[in-house]
Parts: sequence; structure tokens; C-alpha cells
Amino acid sequence: MINRKPYLRLAGLLFILLAAVLISLAAGERWLNPFSSVDSMNQTILWELRWPRLLTAFAVGGLLALAGAWFQVMLGNALAEPYVLGVAGSAAVGAVIVLAFFPDSGFGMSFGAFVGSGLGIAAVMLFARLGPGKLLLAGVVLAAFWSAVIALMLALLPQGKLGLALGWMLGDLSSSVIPVPLLLCLWALALVCGMFLSRSLDRLLLGEAHAAALGVDVSHLRWQLLIAASAATAIAVTAAGTIGFIGLVIPHAMRLVFGSLHRFVLPASAIGGGVLLMLADSGARSVIAPAELPVGVITAFIGVPVFLWLLRRKA
Amino acid sequence: MSAISVSHLCLSRGGRLLIEDLNFHLDVGRIMVILGPNGAGKSSLLMALAGMLDSDAGEVKINGKKLTDFHRGELASSLAWQGTLPSAEFGLSVDQRLQLAMQSGLSSDIDRETRSDACAKQDLSALCQRVLGELSSGERQRVELAALLVRDCPIWLLDEPCAHVDIRHQVAWLQVMREKAESGKTMLAVLHDVQQAAAIADDVILVYGDGRIRTGQAEALLVPDVLNELFQTDLQRVSGGFLIPNYRGEKTANL
Repeated sequence: MINRKPYLRLAGLLFILLAAVLISLAAGERWLNPFSSVDSMNQTILWELRWPRLLTAFAVGGLLALAGAWFQVMLGNALAEPYVLGVAGSAAVGAVIVLAFFPDSGFGMSFGAFVGSGLGIAAVMLFARLGPGKLLLAGVVLAAFWSAVIALMLALLPQGKLGLALGWMLGDLSSSVIPVPLLLCLWALALVCGMFLSRSLDRLLLGEAHAAALGVDVSHLRWQLLIAASAATAIAVTAAGTIGFIGLVIPHAMRLVFGSLHRFVLPASAIGGGVLLMLADSGARSVIAPAELPVGVITAFIGVPVFLWLLRRKA
Repeated sequence: MSAISVSHLCLSRGGRLLIEDLNFHLDVGRIMVILGPNGAGKSSLLMALAGMLDSDAGEVKINGKKLTDFHRGELASSLAWQGTLPSAEFGLSVDQRLQLAMQSGLSSDIDRETRSDACAKQDLSALCQRVLGELSSGERQRVELAALLVRDCPIWLLDEPCAHVDIRHQVAWLQVMREKAESGKTMLAVLHDVQQAAAIADDVILVYGDGRIRTGQAEALLVPDVLNELFQTDLQRVSGGFLIPNYRGEKTANL
């Protein structure tokens, strides 16, 4: 007899996903019934605004959660998250530099973020050989350095552009420059790669020595994880700015619900991260409509209480 | 046939020479015990034999094949390593930890049975759904011993298998080692209790910590003079053949 509980829970999560899609389609400045909107105005809003945006949110949330799960295993620390090694900070530096020196365009900032995150990853990799403990320390120090650079840039930025910079740093799903189909493909690719590694990842949960003794090529796996997790983070940041909490809260929450084995934690995180960001974005679009709240604020407002509740329930 | 054969092995860590020119052959079904003071390099030696630590020189052969020619996965199915307790950071349950130790990785009924048998042998049946972090160190150590049973490799490298474990389960484990060796498993174990070493060792390696090593049969090396030089202590033989430390510092006549 196989243990059916995780499969039932995954099915439950898919049901929640369906509900989240419907809510995201309905919510916004104007509430729509996703099933019966026949007039062309509503059709346009649904198909050209809400679907692309909710799919972007889904893919970005999923990528962030996967990256968080990978970083946590790689660093042997359940409190690690996608931005812990400073990738978000360096991406923000890239975006803000572009904003400061070039006429503002969403594309330019995303490009800057992509280059910035690449440089951030390269900086972190110089320390990857030193093992998880020192890698984590190096990442934290680099992240602090990037925040200092950002603070400097913000101080020098002309008044008119300050709002744009802050909005980007809190996450903005309205102006993703990565085409939605590509983003969804990258989400799927990340999940498939993760599933192939899931048994090695499970063994890495025991620590590097035990994983090696059980036949895992640890240094190879560590590089694979660093590259995959950094790339997922860079893609998410390029698409939507730096959205916090998803990468920390979702993998952790999914472990509490599904246990620790990655063949459940990874798909659950990829879906759960997407669900959380879709719901958060629906909130961001509707709470003070027609204006929008930064989505990062909402993820924190939803993510933190849910996380604390899960933590208490388990204890 | 030799399960493990080592020739001219040199090992150093952090610039300090731990082992110089180690040579031995360990035949199938024998138990070899490694003894030596803290920091002498016993664990490093085990890790080098498990292919987890590079040696400076020399050659290690497992079942006649050079260690360096092994693929990681193939090596992991030839020899099992038990070392420090695994991380409990991520909330693995006892049963999941044992699942990760299994060779097959399929969640079949047979595998389930293997795991529950191993749990039963280590008196862990009541704990098998508990999370590692909730167990005591001794219980977690017994989970590691159960993992060895589940993994079922022909060669066992054990680094203080009885650490944290209560005396009843220590005795039971040594009996398991003896039985498993008789059924053809080969073992290399770091122990700190010379009594236990004397009870199960066929062969012994003494690691002095300054590069010097001595190998030989247990009866020849597990004697007060040799051990006292190794540990810089004052073990004495009392009637019944036991080696006991002189806790009170009194001078007593050797029996």
C-alpha cells in the first residue's frame, strides 16, 4: 500500500489553484464574472490584461518558491531564501543604475536587473567552493553591500524617478518584459529539473557528508543547485522586481504540509508559490483600486501570518 | 579475498600529518577496530576509505578495485559509512531517514518491511513516524544504526557507532556487528571503549596522531602496555581479563 496522503493534498492544492485563478480573473479595479462576461470591453480586460498578469504572477511565484527550496537545501538552512545570497540586491542595483542614467523604460530596468543578478551570482560563485556555511556568510555580506549601493543610488536619484525605483523594488507585475509563454516554460523547466534531482536533494537534507556516503556527488549537486536557484531568482526578479517572503514562506509551509521529501515539496512549492503570488497580486490590484499597492507588501501581509500559524500548529 | 586493502596511505589535515605509510589488508568477514586519542585522525581515515576525503599518497582498494576508479554511486552501494548524526534541520521523520538510506528507493511493501524490521531491531518501532529533531541523541544514533541495517552494504565503516547509546543497546549493537561479520560483512569501526574493542575486534589499527600507526591482531595489541602508550594513561588488567582505567589514581599491583 502506498501512502496516499501527499497525493490527496497535492490534489487539494490544485483545487486551491483553480480557485485562485478564478479570484485573480474576477478581482481588480472592475469586478468581473469570468464566466459570463460577453461584452468586448470585459473580454479585452480578461484576455489582454488579467490572464497574462495572473500567469506571470503564477510563474514568478513558483520560480521564487522553487529557488527558495533549493537554496534552503543547498545551504542546509531552513531559513534561507532566494535573496539570501544577494541576488535580489545586485539585480536592484542593475535596475536602479539603468533608471538613473537612461530615459526610463520598463525594458531597460528589467535588462539592468538581469545583468545585475548575473553579476551578483558570479560574485557569490567565487565563494561556492568554501562550503555552505561560508557561502551563506559571503552572500549575506554581499547582500548588505548591494543594499548600501542601492541606498547610495536612491540618494542620488532625481526626485521624479524615486517612486519608480521603490515601486520596482517592492515588486511590480504590471510590466513584465518576459513573454508569458516563455515564463511558463521556464517555470515548467525549473520544476522538471528539480524533480530529476529530488532524490539527491532528499539525501542532501541529511547533510553533505551523509549525502556523499549515500552516493550523491555533492560538489556537483551544489553547483547545479546554485546555478538553477540563481537563474530562477534572476528570471523572477527580471520579470517582476524583488518580491519578498514567497521564497522563504512557501517551501517551509509546503514542508509542514507535505513532509520533507522533494518529490512532493517541489511541485507543491512551484504551485503554492504561484497561488500565493496570484492572490497577493489580486489584492494589490483591488484593495485601493484604481491605484495599486506594491505586491511585495501583500505577500508579506499574507505570508507572515500563515507561516507563523503553521509554525505554531506544528509545535 | 581482501575487502579493503590499503598500501602506503598517507593522510594529513590542515597541514598536520595524521597517518604515514599505513598498510593493511582486511579480509571479508573480519572486524577491524581503530583506536587512538581524540584528534588523532581516526574519523579522517574512515572518510578517506569512504572516498569522502582525499589522501596525500597511497592506494586504497575496495574488493580489489581501486577507490579512485569507483563511481560515487557504485562506491555507496559497496560500503556504508556511519559518522556524525545527520542534520535534523528539515524535519525528516525516522521512516523517511531510513527510506533515504535504502539502495532500491522504491516504496514497495518489501522495502517497508525492511524498514520496520530495522526499526524493531533498534527498539524504534514506536518512534518511526517521529521527526528526528524530537528524538534524543541516543535514539538518533540508533536510527543511524537502523539505517546501516536497511542499507545492507557488504562493507561497514563505523565512526563510534555506540556514541550516546545506552549500555543495553551498545551490547546489542556489538552482537549485531558480530553476527553480521559472521554472515560475511566486513567492518572497520572506530571505538573508544577498549573493553568493547577487545570483545569484538579481530584486527586493530592504532592511530597515534603524529603520523605513527600500528596494525596487528587484537590479542597482540590490546594489552595494557601498548594501550597506555597510545592513550598516555594508566589502564590495568584485572582478573577476568578486563582492562580498567585507574580512576582514583591509586597505584595497584598489576594482576
